[in-house]
Amino acid sequence: MERSAVAPAAGVALIALGAAALPLVTRDSYYLDVATTILMNLTLTMSFRLQVSTGQINMAHISFMGIGAYASALLVTRAGLSFWATLWIGALVAALLAVPIGSVALRVSGPYYFLITFAFSEVVRLFFNNFFEGLFGGPSGLVGIPKPGRLLGLVFDGKLALYGLMAVLCVVVVLALVRLDCSRFGLTAGAIRQADLVAETLGVNVFRYKLTTFVLGSFVAGLAGVFFAHYRQVLHSSDFGLEPMVLLVVFTVIGGTGSVWGPVVGTILMTIASELLRELHHYEILVFGAVLILTMLFAPEGLVALPGAARRLLRRVRARTTAPAGAGLAP
Amino acid sequence: MSIELLVQALLNGFGLAMVYVLVALGLTLIFSILEIINFAHGEFYMLGGYVTYYLYALFGVNYFATLVLAILTVGIAGVVAERLIFHDLRGRALNAFIVSLGLLWVMQAGAQLAFGVLDKPVPSAFSGVVRGLGVVISVERLVVSLSAIVLIVALYLFLRVSRPGRAMRAVAQDPDAAALQGVNIDVVSALGFGVGCALAGGAGGLLAPLFAVSPAMGALPVVKAFIIIIIGGMGSLPGAVLGGLLLGGVEGLGALFMGSAAVNILGFVMVIVVLLVRPRGLVGGA
Repeated sequence: MERSAVAPAAGVALIALGAAALPLVTRDSYYLDVATTILMNLTLTMSFRLQVSTGQINMAHISFMGIGAYASALLVTRAGLSFWATLWIGALVAALLAVPIGSVALRVSGPYYFLITFAFSEVVRLFFNNFFEGLFGGPSGLVGIPKPGRLLGLVFDGKLALYGLMAVLCVVVVLALVRLDCSRFGLTAGAIRQADLVAETLGVNVFRYKLTTFVLGSFVAGLAGVFFAHYRQVLHSSDFGLEPMVLLVVFTVIGGTGSVWGPVVGTILMTIASELLRELHHYEILVFGAVLILTMLFAPEGLVALPGAARRLLRRVRARTTAPAGAGLAP
Repeated sequence: MSIELLVQALLNGFGLAMVYVLVALGLTLIFSILEIINFAHGEFYMLGGYVTYYLYALFGVNYFATLVLAILTVGIAGVVAERLIFHDLRGRALNAFIVSLGLLWVMQAGAQLAFGVLDKPVPSAFSGVVRGLGVVISVERLVVSLSAIVLIVALYLFLRVSRPGRAMRAVAQDPDAAALQGVNIDVVSALGFGVGCALAGGAGGLLAPLFAVSPAMGALPVVKAFIIIIIGGMGSLPGAVLGGLLLGGVEGLGALFMGSAAVNILGFVMVIVVLLVRPRGLVGGA
């Protein structure tokens, strides 16, 4: 049962080409920084969508980014490990912690799930902020995290090299997630979202599927977190608090979670919007909040579903103009 | 450690618990009627704080009259929010939750633009302390707690005795059956959302003199309210009171052993334990 993989493959190729073409157009450090942020956010939203695709909004997703980030930063600065090792170790730590946390959180569903994952995210944030200040840096943050360093004769310390590294990571992650989405696994996730009881009676172990997506998503979030730590070189517990988490929801939901392209469109649009609105600090979250509300009210399937929705609306308007006014009980 | 110290710690913990119970009751009322988790609930609390700041601190209106006006204003704001935004999302938990995240940002940023980012101090309405049996309580906290208890009792009577209150309980139990009995669900939803927000507004008015008023002031009480309703069980009034007392007690005792910032983690640990052992909360039904 493989869905057609041609269109997704072409899309990934497009992202890869776009990412590769950017340095040919500009090497301005500001644009490279924005592009790196887009790719980092894209990695996060794609892994977040994986969980949303089973119908769960995991409010602790950003915390696993934080766990990866802090784990790698400490292993590099305290244990002297290489970034190239901690990149994977950090992601693994996030995935390993996701097993018990996911097992607990996924015992409940619906509104309880939002709340328990939010509780976990606050525990993690408060932990980084208030405990072991000598280790995590407390409220003033963890500073002095080195850049990745060299690998195979390449030095990763300039904006361009780091952009290239993030681009490779992002394309690999997107490729893997797109393949997953087209596989039986992706179909099952869709079935769980639409009718988990039906899926359960058809023999799908819903809990195990949800846990697998939770752990996989956390691994990818951890990976993005490690890059974030060594890219920004400073970590604050608030980097992984409610505000960036809501931003993640905005990125993912505005594009639409029904297809893998929703988060891609949403992340690129909203990261650019965020840069444009940066000057107007208070207006930024005002605009984002309003866009989120309007999208959920008028286009709950997201922006990528708008063409289809517009077509349906047009058909309805046409049907209404041909039918006599007030006739019938059509909803 | 002396008994007095323990009692004092517990009293400190219980001190504001009833106000947070008020916030929690608003959340749980909205949840039981519309099946919506309103993450922006703290922003209605914040509105109550600003009403208090402008009327009481700036224009010198009587403290209790201000409180009533805060409750009414925020209640109306809640009805408007339900009609404009949440009405069509009734029963669609995921979408409603995401919308409430958006509303949280809109209201917080709106408050920053309208009222400024700086904290606004509200003077205390009462001074002095009450001493007895080796413990000390400030009169202000006593009045605030008693006012919160009065509001909780008023809500209980409203839901038990009055017609709209009973309609709300009917809709919470079974919307279809309630509609068949002639209950107007649209009106009850709007009213329920309004009453829920009004409770938050009242809590904001009560705590405004204790903490300064600011656009982000809603974050802490709403988090406490979430903890309370999870511990007590969503949709249960006695559960919320029990959850509030438990949270207050644990935080009060915890403050003896750890810093006040670190104490915040205890509530979340309780949430995780309760959800593991009894996912529907201590008093919650099926």
